[in-house]
Amino acid sequence: MRFQFAGLALALLLCQYAAADSNTEASSEAALPSIRLAPGDDKSGYDSTAYQTNSLSLEHRKGTALNLAAFAIEPQLGLPDPKESLELEPNAAEIALGRRLFFDRRLSRNQTMSCAMCHIPEQGFTSNELKRPVGFEGRSVKRNAPSLLNVRLYERFFVDARETSLAQQAWSPLLASNEMNNPSIGHVLEQINRDPVYQQQFKQAYGKPADMLNVGYALAQYQQSLLAGDAAFDRWKYASDKTALSKSQQAGFELFTGKAACASCHLIGDQYALFTDQQLHNTGAGYQASMLGEQKEITVILAPGIETTIPAEVAQRVGEPKPNDLGRYEVSLNPKDRWKFRTPTLRNVALTAPYMHNGEFLTLKDVVNFYNQGGQAHSALSPLIRPLNLSATEVDNLIAFMQSLTSSKLKLLVADAFAADVQDPE
Amino acid sequence: MIKSLFKVACGLFLVSASGISHADETCMSPYMAKIVGQEDFVYVWTLGEEGLGDEQDKLVTISVNPDAPDYGKVVDSLSVGGRNEAHHSGFSDDRRFLWAGGLDSNKIFIFDVHTDPAKPTLHKTIDDFVSKSGGVVGPHTFYALAGRMMITGLSNNKDNGGRTAMVEYSNKGEYVATHWHPTDEDLRGAEKSGQFADGYGYDVRVMPRRNAMFTSSFTGWSNYMMDFGTMLADPEAMKRFGNTAVVWDLHTRQPKKVFDMPGAPLEIRCAWKPNNNYCFTTTALTSQIWLMYEDEQGEWQAKAVADIGDPSKVPLPVDISITSDDNGLWVQTFMDGKARYFDISDPFAPKQVYEKVIGSQLNMISQSWDGKRAYFTSSLLDNWDKKGELDEQFFKSYTWDGDKLNLEFEVDFKKEKLGSAHQMRFGAYGLYGMDRPWENEQSDEGADEAAE
Repeated sequence: MRFQFAGLALALLLCQYAAADSNTEASSEAALPSIRLAPGDDKSGYDSTAYQTNSLSLEHRKGTALNLAAFAIEPQLGLPDPKESLELEPNAAEIALGRRLFFDRRLSRNQTMSCAMCHIPEQGFTSNELKRPVGFEGRSVKRNAPSLLNVRLYERFFVDARETSLAQQAWSPLLASNEMNNPSIGHVLEQINRDPVYQQQFKQAYGKPADMLNVGYALAQYQQSLLAGDAAFDRWKYASDKTALSKSQQAGFELFTGKAACASCHLIGDQYALFTDQQLHNTGAGYQASMLGEQKEITVILAPGIETTIPAEVAQRVGEPKPNDLGRYEVSLNPKDRWKFRTPTLRNVALTAPYMHNGEFLTLKDVVNFYNQGGQAHSALSPLIRPLNLSATEVDNLIAFMQSLTSSKLKLLVADAFAADVQDPE
Repeated sequence: MIKSLFKVACGLFLVSASGISHADETCMSPYMAKIVGQEDFVYVWTLGEEGLGDEQDKLVTISVNPDAPDYGKVVDSLSVGGRNEAHHSGFSDDRRFLWAGGLDSNKIFIFDVHTDPAKPTLHKTIDDFVSKSGGVVGPHTFYALAGRMMITGLSNNKDNGGRTAMVEYSNKGEYVATHWHPTDEDLRGAEKSGQFADGYGYDVRVMPRRNAMFTSSFTGWSNYMMDFGTMLADPEAMKRFGNTAVVWDLHTRQPKKVFDMPGAPLEIRCAWKPNNNYCFTTTALTSQIWLMYEDEQGEWQAKAVADIGDPSKVPLPVDISITSDDNGLWVQTFMDGKARYFDISDPFAPKQVYEKVIGSQLNMISQSWDGKRAYFTSSLLDNWDKKGELDEQFFKSYTWDGDKLNLEFEVDFKKEKLGSAHQMRFGAYGLYGMDRPWENEQSDEGADEAAE
């Protein structure tokens, strides 16, 4: 176990370890539910007048609960030993409690926002629909919502790596004025402890009412169960399934680990692949956003296949100034850390658009093109970033490879999330 | 005592008898009494602004009868707590209660406006709209049906996107049913007439004589709560607007036909005359006037019939209002602050014949039944309103002489520390069989003088 809060051991002894039932049947490919891993009102092709809606019914958004306690310790191809990456010993009661908290919209100050409103299950546990999320009363958040899939594999949390455990991390969005905007920790705890279901759940899970520690533990318990490996790449790389990747994807892998040098930061090991080095780098994306060219015009999408260009000053009349973001520097105050952001894992990356810390790149192609040009040149640019001289075919192959990183387990997690009740004021 | 002659229709308007599809004044339901003469009050559902006054949403009552001693003044302000994203409101069919919604908090505030029309009170607050409705977010239009309140939603509690439903309540404020908008996966028996069935919602209007109900489509919580300038520059967010209108069977509440209407069709206003089987709407993003009409075969159709300003510049048409003779349509454009008057005597060929800049930004209009008075307010959505000095917040009262608008008075909502002025509804003593107090006073004074 990599990290554990003091005091948890006793709680764990008291709590029933509920991972006894095997989850093998539930997680088998044959049992995968029919779930779309994309927004329910998919807008693919919206830039064409030929666009047709592909909209799902919310009434039919149903799921099947998964034994997450078992799932959290079930080995998955391509991932490290699950017991090595646990922050907390999985416990069914705690996970169930954490899941209810995660989908509880009452946990924001005006009872309209849950964790899941920005980390939307079918959208890769992020939001595909916005560059950056919208918080309390519509306030702007300056960073793209990170996917929570495999979040426990990170050593530190947030893209500036300012937090050291999932359990601690949970309080930041609950208290941030532009996210859930709760006025105090005590206010949140009072809200939770007023709910009869929570009273029972906390008693069962922790033997006492909600407090600052166990709320974090519970949310961490749910989030650490969102493990999603066993992608096509993993079957090809770690199970010798030579048919799992297409030729284009195999060519992309060669580029990823060779000419394009993506694997310098997005690590692939012999036994497993985290696709992150856990380090912070300056790729130029942050510098570009902070220092370079104000747009004079912006293109505005009006309807399918219809767009117009308006002067940027028109948008500025109805908009607030663009937020600045200095990355790790905002934590360390060390000038060397300006515009450094943590390397994200690329697992399930095809489902987690838009990309980069600020969501400014809408597609994987935008990202690859950015790195192909050498990021954004400036004096503090990481020496690992350089022009790649990739051909158009090579760009496509790299993208194809990244599309092979989507977990076969994901539908199980999304179906489980769909089975969770969303809590609203009653 | 001199009894004033109230030009207020206090009975229920029976559509078949009156031959009127529904009243404007502005845009009331056909199932309720309407004011055909001089209104006494305008109730302004107002957004609280952080750092201004008491910072919370409120119902502001303005005296608008020129004969009233407090004409042109704010006579009451009722704060409800919180910034709920106050937006639209609508009377119950007996017009005794005004239901007003918060697009963010999902709270519904029901005001008693009949006990003392000059001083509304908060009668009831519904705060379980989302859980009762099965996940509908953003109560928008409050539209009275017989014994019912039909409430359109804008969003949902699963992804904060635009898929949503209408929610039906009883007059007592009890949940009755949820009517989801048709999607590709579940058209609910409707015909998808074109390329779109997005499941989005916005406004609702009915034409009882044709057993028809109409809905339009806007966007979900993530967009309507978002900073407008940020959203315009976010291509993914800009894809999340509705492109449909739906005609429903009014009695069964079943969707019948989904129309393609690209660019977020918003307010719906239906014609008045008994044989004018059509309704107008305007698309906010593509800046067009659309007509939904019944063709010779009795089939409902939809057609774009005019542009509003220069659509490439995104003037952003917002509220609209049809005149009671079906010949005119007011269209407000938010970005340039203009009120535009269209001649719609040929509904298939509207022509703009007048325009006037009302302020730096402009959203709502409410016109009197006789069309002689028009009231305007400024706010669109809290995070969409203009910034800095351009964020004027006003209520302005104009008279319309058929050729031009003439300003009578205005209330500066910032100077009065009220907030951002949004939707307006009319009140009148005569609706509730009451005399106007100042007329009693004048009458009493006259009697005293005569006695002396």
